Amino acid sequence: MSKTITVVGDVNAVDTRVLLTGQGSVTSPSLVVPAGMTKIKKIIMSAAADGLAAGESVNFIRLGGNAVLGGEQTIVFGGEDSQTVQTGSDAAPSLGSFFVLEDADIDVRPSDTISIAGESAGVDVGDMTFGVTLVYGK
Amino acid sequence: MSKLYRSREGQITAVDTKSQLTTLGSETAPGPLLVPAGARRIAAIIAAYATDQSVAADGSIFIRLEGPGLPEGPETLIIGSQGVAVATGGHGSRTARRIEVDIPVTPANEILIFAENDGEDVGTETVGVTLEFEA
Repeated sequence: MSKTITVVGDVNAVDTRVLLTGQGSVTSPSLVVPAGMTKIKKIIMSAAADGLAAGESVNFIRLGGNAVLGGEQTIVFGGEDSQTVQTGSDAAPSLGSFFVLEDADIDVRPSDTISIAGESAGVDVGDMTFGVTLVYGK
Repeated sequence: MSKLYRSREGQITAVDTKSQLTTLGSETAPGPLLVPAGARRIAAIIAAYATDQSVAADGSIFIRLEGPGLPEGPETLIIGSQGVAVATGGHGSRTARRIEVDIPVTPANEILIFAENDGEDVGTETVGVTLEFEA
């Protein structure tokens, strides 16, 4: 049996740790690891940028909090290029990055709280939205 | 033992120049990346990079792993390539790649991560690398 939790959030500045605590219409989903779940088995990470600033950045998450037994885990999952267009021209839309870490195998303590943070490093490419799903198991 | 994930990132600003990845976003001085206690090997490397597309050129990006944490010596790994025809507007997202490896490590010793742009200078790149440690 597995259980999932998804969180999303805006990451609008580089080198800034942003806790991902929202879930669309649900503003504060529970970040308590479900009872009986002892591992994060899989992590799905996604991000997109509006590209309104010229730069380049890589995206990563931080998994921490009392529930993560091995200390904070940091995982890189994508990058964003942006060269702002000349006045009067358009840039093609860009699909976001989407990365699935299979067999993540991270030990967690059930019924304790996990923190999921997103962060961008490098040169600001504009506003970004992150989405992360954790798949818990035993 | 479960897996442990440790990451660093940094910039490349010149071609054919070894650039150490020493920061991690808001952590400007995370310190040495030490092999966690109990780890026996690096089971995978997850890497991503991005470029500012500021130069009409083509080149590749690779990483180097070095340091006393690697008893078998340094490793190199290509993580991607980049080319643009004009430097007047562009936007791209890049998904990280996870490459399975089997690199022995020495616990409590440091691993240094470097990134490098070879070929032509394709501008400025930010590179992020995660090492997946396993017992």
